[in-house]
Amino acid sequence: MMHRNSLTTSLRRRFTRRQFLQAAGGGAAGLAGILTAGRPPAYAQTRELTFLTATAFVPEADLEVKRQLEEWGAQNRVRVRFDIIAHLQLAAKKAAEVQARSGHDITCLGPGLGDGELYFDYLVDLDDIAPSIGANNGGWLNESDYIFRGKWKLLPWWFGAYPMAYRTDILEKLGEKVPDTWEDWLQVSKKAKAMGHPIGIPIAHCGDANISLFSMLWCYGASYVAKDGKTIAINSPQTREVLEFVGRLYREAMEPEVLAWDDASNNRGLNAGKLFAIHNPISAYESAKASKIKIPGSEREIHEVIDHVNSPRGPADRKTTSFYYCVGIWNFSKQVDLAKEFLKYHFSPEQQHKFIAAGRGFTMSHLVNLNRHPVYGINPKHRHLPEVAKATVAPAWPGTQTAASQLTWDLFVIPDMFSHFVTGSMTAPQAIEWAERELKEIYAGRRVKKS
Amino acid sequence: MSNRRPWTKRIRPLFTLYMPIGPFVFFALFPLYFMFLATFKQDAELYNLDAIPFLITKRPTWAHYQFLSEQTLFWSWFRNSLVVSAAATVVSVVIGILAAYPLARLKFRGAEAFGIAIFITYLVPPSLLFLPLTTVVNRLGLSDSLWSLVATYPTFLVPFCTWLLMGYFRAVPKEIEECAMIDGCNRLQALVKILLPVAIPGIICAGLFAFTLSWNEFLYSLVFVSPSESKTITVGVFSDLIRGDVYYWGSLLAGASIGSLPIVIAYVFFLDFYVSGLTAGAIK
Repeated sequence: MMHRNSLTTSLRRRFTRRQFLQAAGGGAAGLAGILTAGRPPAYAQTRELTFLTATAFVPEADLEVKRQLEEWGAQNRVRVRFDIIAHLQLAAKKAAEVQARSGHDITCLGPGLGDGELYFDYLVDLDDIAPSIGANNGGWLNESDYIFRGKWKLLPWWFGAYPMAYRTDILEKLGEKVPDTWEDWLQVSKKAKAMGHPIGIPIAHCGDANISLFSMLWCYGASYVAKDGKTIAINSPQTREVLEFVGRLYREAMEPEVLAWDDASNNRGLNAGKLFAIHNPISAYESAKASKIKIPGSEREIHEVIDHVNSPRGPADRKTTSFYYCVGIWNFSKQVDLAKEFLKYHFSPEQQHKFIAAGRGFTMSHLVNLNRHPVYGINPKHRHLPEVAKATVAPAWPGTQTAASQLTWDLFVIPDMFSHFVTGSMTAPQAIEWAERELKEIYAGRRVKKS
Repeated sequence: MSNRRPWTKRIRPLFTLYMPIGPFVFFALFPLYFMFLATFKQDAELYNLDAIPFLITKRPTWAHYQFLSEQTLFWSWFRNSLVVSAAATVVSVVIGILAAYPLARLKFRGAEAFGIAIFITYLVPPSLLFLPLTTVVNRLGLSDSLWSLVATYPTFLVPFCTWLLMGYFRAVPKEIEECAMIDGCNRLQALVKILLPVAIPGIICAGLFAFTLSWNEFLYSLVFVSPSESKTITVGVFSDLIRGDVYYWGSLLAGASIGSLPIVIAYVFFLDFYVSGLTAGAIK
């Protein structure tokens, strides 16, 4: 009893309820102070420049940007940090940083130009650096695409050209020439499918589907939005013609799995020896080469029989698009001037030359001079890439890039229109009307603000 | 005649137990087997449509594990996941115990409503919470550090731990605590010296579950932590081994195989406690 009482007493002496409440109250007050102040404690504020980007297909391209950032940082005595995340997660990261008004200084934007409108109020004006960068590099490819409400809010950084990648050995067995039009590709692919090698154009929720199907719309003289960037133009005879064409392509030259593809599926299909052709950057070819994948039933490596030609043309035109990665500076960055200095450094001719070289032909620039880079002449299989770049337009073509056009891309409205038709769940007029309703809702909800 | 009965007794479990369970075991273990096997296949075999998917038909390779170890910061990510999961588990279980005890034992106004409110917070999806939590994390100066995860993971771990431990504590007879208090223990002593030793299975169960949820968590780790060396295994493997439209399948699966080991080991050793903890509240 005596022992228990002294134990209880000693416990009471060590820590009373009042002392506990006082400590907890003090801690809570300190925490409230930090939260109310709205910024981290002073020791955390340092002179540092941070850059967030999405992983590039070619690791060396990321390493080159990191090298340039570190080199510039060493020259200017600035601590730098280069962070990469998967491209599919970039949207969540951007949203979080804008919500918190805190995060990286320089951020990768895209894929697509719509971020210039979507994040217009959160990006720093780059009017003081963009024109001179263009002038130093022979000009920008399509300057009007990159300007929002009369301002430069982002710098277009790189895109991947979308040629047709095809099996030369299968084409040889068929005794056919290399097709040039979408209709020619359909006719040749019908024969290839009979041999067990269908063509692979995704009609699914993936970036490749947007790109290929947008390309087909434009090649047949259709578009989903007019040049004014506001009028929905999807309901046209040309769209009906494209729908019928894609219906034939799906039934006669493809397999139903294309309805469930992601961006990696066509790469896998080509590299596994199943597909005859895909509409894709050179990533499939390069990864087959790196992994030494063989032609099924043979010891020959499959990359030896993969080649690339220009993106197909249609009755009206030859147009395609791509994922456009851009860079911008958040206006809540505390290092806006430093960020601009680095972007001027990175977009200088010498550094851009090294960046494009590191991409090994995968990364195409929006700067005129860089599209004549010798890297595209090193591998004969990359010889058509500059032509593809010339046929590449921004995703909202012929309209302007807006938040609504970005939403059209992100919600896969056009691939859904095609999938409704090819699966038979809607007739062509129904599918087009459905798409028109969807687009009108999107564009009504996202009107372009007058500057 | 006397030998036939033991023989039928021996063979009966084959038909009444093993054969019915067999398909479920196969269904559960086959993905692990396939994943593990694929990590030793060369890329050429992974893409070969004529290869037998359930066997390695060409020379096995360590290349995917080598790439994972040498070309990525995989072991840093592994260590980060271990540290964050362990720390978040300890914090959550301690807070869960301190919350569950009064809710299970003490009668005060609003106890039931408070218990329901704690559980409801568990139902709020992280995809809604990550945006406001980003603001909190940045204002605390924790962004881009592992402490941001240790601070935010309890938001979804504590409700579940509390709910689980409440059920477990209610299943422990309160008379043993009352006896201790009659003998001179206060509430805290009764909790620490009497209830917690009896509730070890429930605590282990809560800890296992908290560790598993922390280990597998992706969204907060993606949003709150950016530097490559500070990423957790879920984000790091995804970021570095999926580049555009190219998936490094062998290394991805190698990362997943190694990443699943701590959970597998933990459950192998503590499975009995886990089942006991989950079912304790169901039996009166």
